[in-house]
Amino acid sequence: MIMQHDIPAPDLPALFGALADPHRLAIVEALAAEGEKTVGELCAPFEISAPAISRHLAVLESAGVIERRVDRQWRVCRIRPDALTAVEGWVETQRRFWNASLDRLERMLAEDAGTNATVAKSNNDKEKKR
Amino acid sequence: MSEDTTLRMERIFAATPEQLFSAWTNADQLVRWWGPEGATTPKHDLDVREGGAWITTMRHEDGSENTVSGVYRLIDPPRRLVFTWAWHNDGPRGHESEVALDFEPVDGGTRMVLVQKTFQSAEMCDRHSMGWTSSFNDLARHVESLTGGTAA
Repeated sequence: MIMQHDIPAPDLPALFGALADPHRLAIVEALAAEGEKTVGELCAPFEISAPAISRHLAVLESAGVIERRVDRQWRVCRIRPDALTAVEGWVETQRRFWNASLDRLERMLAEDAGTNATVAKSNNDKEKKR
Repeated sequence: MSEDTTLRMERIFAATPEQLFSAWTNADQLVRWWGPEGATTPKHDLDVREGGAWITTMRHEDGSENTVSGVYRLIDPPRRLVFTWAWHNDGPRGHESEVALDFEPVDGGTRMVLVQKTFQSAEMCDRHSMGWTSSFNDLARHVESLTGGTAA
């Protein structure tokens, strides 16, 4: 009852695929921590070339993780909040699945412990009778 | 951001690590607790070995079904179990993530830590990079054979 109506949206593979790269994740973390940044500022911490960074930014943009705009002569990047919401939604869906399942696992283990205790007790009783 | 893309849960169960490990890797036990309250798991296949595929289809009380599948990455009973994880959304497998379980004996039972990453860790990718493509193809075939080409 929990899962079926909120299965992750189909664009999530693209979203997570975009994040599953150390450079792109670092870019996203920098934007998440500091808000807007120019492409030049984003390039600064990396040893890879500006065209390489540019390709990473294009991947992030097409997956909907970031958006770019031109401010006078600068190209400015920022995170799209709905991308983060989608990621959080995915994590939350998983959390609900596990919480519900682990509640049942707990009960199953308790039931089995009860059964084993009964078996052990009856075995004990048999021992005594002998 | 890293925290947002990783789920970490921790619980203490009144059971031994061996019992818990078996609850995850023994299909007869897994189907008794897999999924939310009221769900059953009418279709399942667990090939419990490293590189082996697993798939389960849950049926909910309203008759709707969800399939989830993956590949076992690390099997170290009774301490650690790692597998990949993806929902099937209207056919194709969705985004693949990685679930790692650690079982540690504590007073009164076992502490289980579940960490689910939205993408596989670099460690696991490195470790399995050689077998990655082939096991993925195996899984795709496996899934097709189970669902007759149309995932639930």
